[in-house]
Amino acid sequence: MRPAWIVFVKELLDALRDRRTLLVVVLSSVAVGPVVLIALSVLVASLEQRADVREVHAVGIEHAPTLRNYLERQTYAIKTAPADYERQLVSRERGDPVMVVPPNFETDLAQGLAPVVELVSASANTRAQGGIGRLAGLLQGFNQEQASLRLALRGVAPGLLQAVQVQERDLGDARARAAQLTSLLPFFVLMAVLYGALHAALDTTAGERERGSLEPLLMNPAPMAALVLGKWGAVSAVAMLVAVLSCLSFLPAQWLVRGETLAAVFQFGPREAALFLALLLPLAAALSALLMAVAIRCKSFKEAQANSTVVILAVSLLPLATVFSQEGERPWHLWVPALAQIGLMGRVLKGEPLHATEALLPLAVATGLTLLCLGFVARRLRGAAVR
Amino acid sequence: MIEITDLAKRFVQGGGRHAQAVVAVQGLSFRATDGCITGLLGPNGAGKTTTLRMVAALVTPDAGRITVDGIDVAAQPRLALARLGVLSDARGLYPRLTARENIVYYGQLQGLGAAAAAARAEVLARTLDMGPLLDRRTEGFSQGERMKTALARALVHDPSHVVLDEPTNGLDVLATRSLRETLRRLRDEHRKCIVFSTHIMQEVERLCDQVVVMAKGRQVAQGTVAELLERTGQRDFEACFVQLAYGEAEA
Repeated sequence: MRPAWIVFVKELLDALRDRRTLLVVVLSSVAVGPVVLIALSVLVASLEQRADVREVHAVGIEHAPTLRNYLERQTYAIKTAPADYERQLVSRERGDPVMVVPPNFETDLAQGLAPVVELVSASANTRAQGGIGRLAGLLQGFNQEQASLRLALRGVAPGLLQAVQVQERDLGDARARAAQLTSLLPFFVLMAVLYGALHAALDTTAGERERGSLEPLLMNPAPMAALVLGKWGAVSAVAMLVAVLSCLSFLPAQWLVRGETLAAVFQFGPREAALFLALLLPLAAALSALLMAVAIRCKSFKEAQANSTVVILAVSLLPLATVFSQEGERPWHLWVPALAQIGLMGRVLKGEPLHATEALLPLAVATGLTLLCLGFVARRLRGAAVR
Repeated sequence: MIEITDLAKRFVQGGGRHAQAVVAVQGLSFRATDGCITGLLGPNGAGKTTTLRMVAALVTPDAGRITVDGIDVAAQPRLALARLGVLSDARGLYPRLTARENIVYYGQLQGLGAAAAAARAEVLARTLDMGPLLDRRTEGFSQGERMKTALARALVHDPSHVVLDEPTNGLDVLATRSLRETLRRLRDEHRKCIVFSTHIMQEVERLCDQVVVMAKGRQVAQGTVAELLERTGQRDFEACFVQLAYGEAEA
């Protein structure tokens, strides 16, 4: 095993000397946690803020004292929209939809003529579109109140109009709700690990071929297995370093989280970090071996980069399997590297327990993949040196 | 001593119906003795590099046998490689490592301890006159500096046999001279068995004790420079080589 250790030390030193590449990889992996969390917390905070603001932006509300009275009783403040609100809505300067009240509102209402109230937004303006439902609900309430009053005047019980009572009950706890938002995190961590392994894996295989240093290397009496193990060890070490850094970056990043909802439900402590790493480290080793197997076939670094995009594409598209499949997580997901880890990391974030078999199956798959790829690299190494 | 008997190798180019067999080496036999420089002379594509790759166990021969000090290269490649110092056609260095680290890495892979490998690097740096280079990273090295580092790397375990593939490729006059001087010293002072391939006549004339002339994968002549001149009746070695390698018509 001494030759493997010598190769490992040299390859690691070589990778660490490549400061510029390493710096980019490490910085981006460390930045993953804080950036994603801050982006999420800003999003959640703005949603919360919008839900809290009880304001109605209206035009012509002076023609409708009854409606105004109703809105104010619901503790809504009424703001007059500016004259050019249509332009503002289209250009998305304005985040609130506008209620347009016709001049004859009050007389029509009194005569039972059902005046038309317009709710103006623009479908390309997501913020304004989001507020439409609230305004429509308010007007619905106003409708119901007026209807009840009219029925009461005519001596009819308003309950007659209500054949069914509807009540909503939400079973998702706060943690599961937030996991919908934080489900992106495992994906970002996984991609950081993949990109961490990429450069080192390509450099020790295709890079070595391109430099013409593979042929002289094989003229040493070191066993082929030792060379492959040493190289793979160094690539995996870099990938694992990235995994550790990006997982740990979530710990301090939590302090940056704004908004109470997210802070309350995104609990990422040492336990979660340890579980993440237990899932990620074997995968980092397997992805390193896979990238090396892809790259050893290539004569140049550039060719290897083009070929490895297949691996990157596969890993980045795998999470979509859970999106496309209406059935959610399926047992076979555990057999697919990357997909299994993403699913299990998601469950760690949701606070669900992991069973031993669920954690061991992906580990076994990753080990098998690693052995297969390393065997392939060892078999191709001699041929790669002379061609 | 390196002994080659009836060596043959052919490559298949392309696949399927377009597959074409190319004979790289056919029926090559020669013996390179210790304390002697053997030149493998031949035009481009004569099979020199393939032959040396087979000696270094990088390519498996289709037929024939290569032994290094009696060790069969095919049967015990690692044992044979421990006795060989090979400067191959590709002599890529690790650009982010210093010359010293490049040399020590190979020393350790050859089984030397870290201290022993470092000591050998110092000795070789003096022999090859590359002391100031030792602690510089090899990126940005000139051709001559690269060649020196690669040669030091090949010699780090003090092998009894030295195999060099076109060592003077891309070197200027001074670097070529210094390399020739080094090879002579290795032969005279250390009694090494040296085999090198080249297509440059002057090198063979000035350096080789024995010449093996190759053309199209076959051995066309063998002997000292004087013997080959006598055999062809030429006075100029270049004319002698052209006659041997390409036949009477060209000469």
